[in-house]
Amino acid sequence: MRLLIVEDDGEASEAMARGLGEAGHDCQTAENGEVGLVSARRGRFDVLIVDRMMPKLDGVAMVERLRKEGDQTPVLFLSALGEINHRVEGLRAGGDDYLVKPYAFAELIARVEALARRRETGSVQTLLRVGDLEMDLIGREVRRAGQEIDLQPREFQLLEFLMRHAGQSVTRTMLLEQVWEYHFDPQTNVIDVHISRLRSKIDKGFDHPMLQTVRGAGYRLDA
Amino acid sequence: MRLPRLVRTTPFRLTLLFLALFAAAAFAFLGYIYIATAGEAARAADAAISREAHSLEDVYVHRGGFTALNEAVIERSSSTRGFLYLVMDAKGDPVSGSIGKSPVGNLTRDVEWTSFGLTETDFDGAKVRRPARGMEERLPGGEILFVGADVGEAQGYVVKIVNALWGAAALVIVLGLAGGVFVARDVSRNMAAMTGVINAARMGDLGARANLRGAGDELDELAAGLNDMLERLERSIAGLRHAGDAIAHDLRSPLTRLRARMEAALIEAEAGRGDPVGALRQALDDADGVLKTFGAVLAIARLEAAANAPDQSKFDPAAVAAGVAELYEPVSEEKGLDFAAELASGLSLRGNRDFIAQAIANLLDNAVKYTPPGGAVMLRVRRRASGDVEISVTDTGPGVPEDDRERVVGRFVRLENSRNAPGVGLGLSLVAAVAHAHGGRLELDEGPGIFDGKGPGLRAALVLPAG
Repeated sequence: MRLLIVEDDGEASEAMARGLGEAGHDCQTAENGEVGLVSARRGRFDVLIVDRMMPKLDGVAMVERLRKEGDQTPVLFLSALGEINHRVEGLRAGGDDYLVKPYAFAELIARVEALARRRETGSVQTLLRVGDLEMDLIGREVRRAGQEIDLQPREFQLLEFLMRHAGQSVTRTMLLEQVWEYHFDPQTNVIDVHISRLRSKIDKGFDHPMLQTVRGAGYRLDA
Repeated sequence: MRLPRLVRTTPFRLTLLFLALFAAAAFAFLGYIYIATAGEAARAADAAISREAHSLEDVYVHRGGFTALNEAVIERSSSTRGFLYLVMDAKGDPVSGSIGKSPVGNLTRDVEWTSFGLTETDFDGAKVRRPARGMEERLPGGEILFVGADVGEAQGYVVKIVNALWGAAALVIVLGLAGGVFVARDVSRNMAAMTGVINAARMGDLGARANLRGAGDELDELAAGLNDMLERLERSIAGLRHAGDAIAHDLRSPLTRLRARMEAALIEAEAGRGDPVGALRQALDDADGVLKTFGAVLAIARLEAAANAPDQSKFDPAAVAAGVAELYEPVSEEKGLDFAAELASGLSLRGNRDFIAQAIANLLDNAVKYTPPGGAVMLRVRRRASGDVEISVTDTGPGVPEDDRERVVGRFVRLENSRNAPGVGLGLSLVAAVAHAHGGRLELDEGPGIFDGKGPGLRAALVLPAG
């Protein structure tokens, strides 16, 4: 994947580029919004990682301008400002996701990959399929190897998110934000219990477990 | 040049302005009176002179010409009618009359009016000059007649009026200035007290308060506003200071631990022993813990510092509670707890939905964490008799001894028997801060009591005003 990192803190930017490079992505960096805007217009990137607060042109203004020009490249905002209104402001400006500093690297990679994937599957799907697992979004039905699986509404949403991001790591925070729409960090690992319930429904009785736990990151649904 | 302090005060300046306006109005009014009275007196004198002249003209035209006129003038001069007469021939030489010389030099027009001075000798022999007015006209035969009058009486009246006007003006100015000084001093004294309070606050004494005079006027209002502002400022600064202390206190120990671990790992790694990957993993966990604590303390401090929770909206508390219950129900079941929710519908709250959800999550988190397997957790949303909305979580855990209830709401307080449960001890502090930011409170009570050696449990209630 080609990524553009727009971040005024050189050290943070370099560490990010190195880490993402190791994860197999091709990174370019820009040290402020103006340079970032020029680079973003020129290069064809899969995801832009933009710091919210920067000298000259700040991240929000930069993304607003790109969106006005019709550029729809997914944007992940990074910010030290984590309050709800800041998040809303970033998303309203055209950001696709918002990650509060400091963050775990696994979180960054998972979110960047999720954004890139979202772009690939832009068309409206009514049927999701991962391996022998099928989800009918209209009939609200889930089948594995033709066998119907009964899911609670929230479990259905959780599985839908995992299926849409099949093959990628998704973090607990991503699940909490995207499936439950909560932006706080529960002290107990409530997500783990929901995942294990879901796992018992989709993997039980099958030789090949699909729902994997990724150490230090979260979960991944594999075909 | 710097004006004296009193003169620079706003009330004094306002007084001066009003004084100027008032004086202008008074002068206009008095000027009108002057014109009306003094002008009227002059007109009356002129009319009298005209009438006298006409009657003499009448004598001249209808009763025997110049001779009769002379006789009439001589007769009238000796009477007490108070007029001055002079009859002259066509060349202007005096023929008869009470004055020797016409005050009008050369008569060019038919009728000419003049004001002149009349010199008289009073009883003491001093010469007095009195104002007089007169008219001179040429008679049909070419002779000249002058009739005048002493207007000293009328003029004196006018002078009196003018003097009275000046006196009144002086009085207005003196009284106005005195009033201005009085008002300025009174207001100034009160303002100075408030300025003193502001200066004290500026120098760091946030405990300073302005006195209310009890007059209920706008100065009292201002003082009350000032006091309220200082009160809030003091509270929020105290909150921030407390948060700073708390952060310093609670981050220092994990940071110290983290540092020690890394140092030990480095020494081992340098010696080619140990498990550097494991040490780094441990360090990362420690750092995450520190960041979590930091985030929680910051959130609490922000809530405490803000008078009201940000981004408020109207919502149904039962719906929010149901969402959080759904999140926690599996954890609770997993631990072997009986989880129940009793959510009254039709209630309405006004506030920050996310913060309320987080507060409920924290209460459930605590309940699930501290209640031993086999116990029960109950989430309830209901309307109290007072109209407030109560969101409560009751568990059958060990509870909190009455003496400790106030303390556990404080930051970083963890009771002895909870040392090995995960968490940083900020859960209830956050709930209390959320309650406070919504104008509500957090109440801690005993749970259902002791059953089978378990309990007495804890009932934590978030009580919020309905919105």
